Amino acid sequence: MTIVETRAKRGDASDGTLGGRLSRIDGPAKITGAADYALERQPDGMVHAVLVDSTIASGRVLSIDAEAAEAAPGVLLVMTPDNALPIKSATDWLGTPPPDVPYEPLARTITFSGQHVAAVIAETFEQATSAAALVKVTYEDTAAIASFDDPRAGDGMAIDQMTVEWGDAEAALASAPVRISQEYKTPREYNVPIEPHGLIAHWQGDTLTVWEPSQWIDGMARTYAEWFDIPFENVRLRSPYIGGGFGSKALPLEHGAIAINAARMLGRPVKLAVTRPQTFTAYGGRPATRQTIALGATREGKLLSIVHRGANETSITGIAVEPLGSVTSIMYATPNFSSRQNIVPVNTVKPGALRAPGENPSAFGIECAIDELAYEVGIDPLEIRLLNYAEEDPHAKKPWSTRRLREAYAAGAEAIGWSNRDPRPRSMRVGNQLIGYGVAAGTYPVRRTPGEALVRILSDGTVEVASSSIDMGQGTYTILAQTAAEAIGVPVETVRVKLGDSALPRAPVAGGSQLANLMTGAVHKAALAARDELIGLAINDPNSPFRALQANTLVIENGQIASPRDTGSAVAIAEVMRRTGRDKIETLRNTLPEKLRNDKDHFRNFTTISTMLSPTDGDYSLHSWCVHFVEVRVDVDFGTVRVARMVSALDSGRLYNPKLAESQWKGGIIMGIGQALLEEGIVDSRHGRVINNNLGDYLVPTNADIPDLEVISVGIPDTHASVLGGKAVGELAIVGVAPAIANAVYHATGVRVRDLPITLEKLI
Amino acid sequence: MTNEITIHLDINGKTHSLSVEPRVTLLDALRDHLALTGTKKGCDQGQCGACTVHVNGERVLSCLTLAAQAEGQKITTIEGLSDHGAELHPVQAAFLEHDAFQCGYCTPGQIMSAVACIREGHTGSDDEIREYMSGNLCRCGAYPHIIEAVREAAKVMS
Repeated sequence: MTIVETRAKRGDASDGTLGGRLSRIDGPAKITGAADYALERQPDGMVHAVLVDSTIASGRVLSIDAEAAEAAPGVLLVMTPDNALPIKSATDWLGTPPPDVPYEPLARTITFSGQHVAAVIAETFEQATSAAALVKVTYEDTAAIASFDDPRAGDGMAIDQMTVEWGDAEAALASAPVRISQEYKTPREYNVPIEPHGLIAHWQGDTLTVWEPSQWIDGMARTYAEWFDIPFENVRLRSPYIGGGFGSKALPLEHGAIAINAARMLGRPVKLAVTRPQTFTAYGGRPATRQTIALGATREGKLLSIVHRGANETSITGIAVEPLGSVTSIMYATPNFSSRQNIVPVNTVKPGALRAPGENPSAFGIECAIDELAYEVGIDPLEIRLLNYAEEDPHAKKPWSTRRLREAYAAGAEAIGWSNRDPRPRSMRVGNQLIGYGVAAGTYPVRRTPGEALVRILSDGTVEVASSSIDMGQGTYTILAQTAAEAIGVPVETVRVKLGDSALPRAPVAGGSQLANLMTGAVHKAALAARDELIGLAINDPNSPFRALQANTLVIENGQIASPRDTGSAVAIAEVMRRTGRDKIETLRNTLPEKLRNDKDHFRNFTTISTMLSPTDGDYSLHSWCVHFVEVRVDVDFGTVRVARMVSALDSGRLYNPKLAESQWKGGIIMGIGQALLEEGIVDSRHGRVINNNLGDYLVPTNADIPDLEVISVGIPDTHASVLGGKAVGELAIVGVAPAIANAVYHATGVRVRDLPITLEKLI
Repeated sequence: MTNEITIHLDINGKTHSLSVEPRVTLLDALRDHLALTGTKKGCDQGQCGACTVHVNGERVLSCLTLAAQAEGQKITTIEGLSDHGAELHPVQAAFLEHDAFQCGYCTPGQIMSAVACIREGHTGSDDEIREYMSGNLCRCGAYPHIIEAVREAAKVMS
């Protein structure tokens, strides 16, 4: 458990209240090196595990010769499927009960290159690394399907749950005066958190402590308990700081099982840190996708039909669905619509979640297609978006709770100077640089899971907030301190926030951009309950200075309780606590609905996603919205693309801390620039292997790739979306960036690139 | 058996003696042997910049430096940038003020790089700062705020 205390803030006093621009309270620890990330613990007797991964993409392990490795200095164990202690299968994150078969994290059958086949555990990291190279694995090699571009991959299987249809899309398309149809593709993309995955596992009897960066403490702790057949309460998962996750640190992975099992077998704490190259195969990023989008429209550009067919890669043994129709079905009004999706098994690690899974590639397709339609009918790309504006959710047929997209278009267009744009492609140029302006919209749904929080008012008048939720840079520590400070009426500096420990009150996954809303809601509820109890104490206790006053007449401001009718009566909270002899007031509250307030559903709520509400559960359709305006410069000779300027206008509802929300938005935009121009897992079709599995070859944006970014908040509080009025922040801003850049590149060059990334050879 | 050597490292003004294998990197010596975990391991192959420290005042990737190579050199890590308990270094203060980080994992490397970037005189323009800060990757995407922070800190330090 990590405790973060607020420090002296800058700016004015309003910074500490919800909505204030308080600097992040975990900041001082991070800038001085004091922040203790999970893998930096050093329990006594700790040893090191290094993975041995398959060098073939398909086949089976015939033999593992561990003799040389076992004889190497410092080696304690070479773990293989034959000597590993058995592990049970676990419930999955949806809550599906496990099959009654053992779970084997070390593979005998190989379905992708980089699959873990053995692990070497030694006294030191260097010894384990060196000995791992001595393990000789022989394989029976069978033909691999390297990617879904391989004709043998076929069309895959239909995922019927993804089918969305209304009207008669095919017929309406056939009879439409204007028709366009194109294919849009995105490659394998990787999360690339700068802190690689890993864990330290430490058994003490039948209790297990795991230090591991985690986006979901309680979900992962449940899996570990089930794998190793111990009660949930016997697992202590600690994740004080998380060095980036972007979707990749929410679920337990094979290497976790291997390290915990090794610790159990050796009776010593085991540290396993995934190497950077292994981060490309120890878990999957965004799968490669392809979409065909056909638009039918009037000659004026009004949509008559959308026919959408999508497919994404999945692994041979797992089902990963990247919902490619998620934006297609809600961004524009159309009387006829059809979207279907397949998944195509190939020899790859099972793809995972990467920032806005579904919405991100979905927006790339539809936001490029609508741009193409604008040119086809000869109207402005901004105008065609307003012409086809969806006044309600066209799929769910429900009103939007809030949709400030018109305001976003207007604010962004004004800021970028859209009216200065010459609409003709390849018409704007300065010297050797072709200039292009592009626009694209994005959206991300508001997901909702109930939360839980503990608030404690201590005898000295300070406040503690505790939750097993996590902060991987979104600002959880900070906004929860602001929430408690405002609800109780104390200075934010007096609030301490404890997160990242399964011993604390439960929290659901920090994913789907839901955590800020659900946790501020839970803390707000618990803090108000604590405040009520404090007020009650002040009124009812015979030793209180406020004895016999009405509860609703007391106010708490700046840590002082006062009766407004007698302003001279103010008494510090600590003084009330002292006079009434209390050492603390403690309130634990959750936001579960009545029907889920039982032990079984409480556990299910926080350890699976089965209670998460969809954005259209209820009377409204709940989404965040954004629009990106981009100016690109393309070198006329070399085809190099630079993003010169970018303005984004975003509707995330109310922002609990605009300083931190803007950082998250910009981070999403920058990841989107990488997706548009740089990022691509390059598959070697001969060996079924991603060959650029390092940060020198898998290119993520550097500082020099990014211009100044302007972000404009156009949101208003949306209390249909959440108790305190916020909508989704973290995953919103990446959505729509890549199509905005692709559209700008088309405007600059007249070349339409429909497969990401937009690299120079596609332009010259 | 393991062949260990004894080395003496001058880190943040203090001499540390340690017995390590010759193949131990400066990064692993700091993190695993000396509990100086402020210096981060992001790639262990010189590509991300998270392990940046100063050796004799110059920025160096500690994952590509053997601990033994650093013997006799003056090493500064994030823990030694400001005196313990004293005011933050101007670069640290500017990072906090401009929210030049999110997850914080690349941050010590960014800050060590930024201090050197300013010392090298590479803060003449935002573009120059961008170029000379591009050896440090930040996946959270704090780059525009890092530029603001370095620009401001350079002013304070001049």
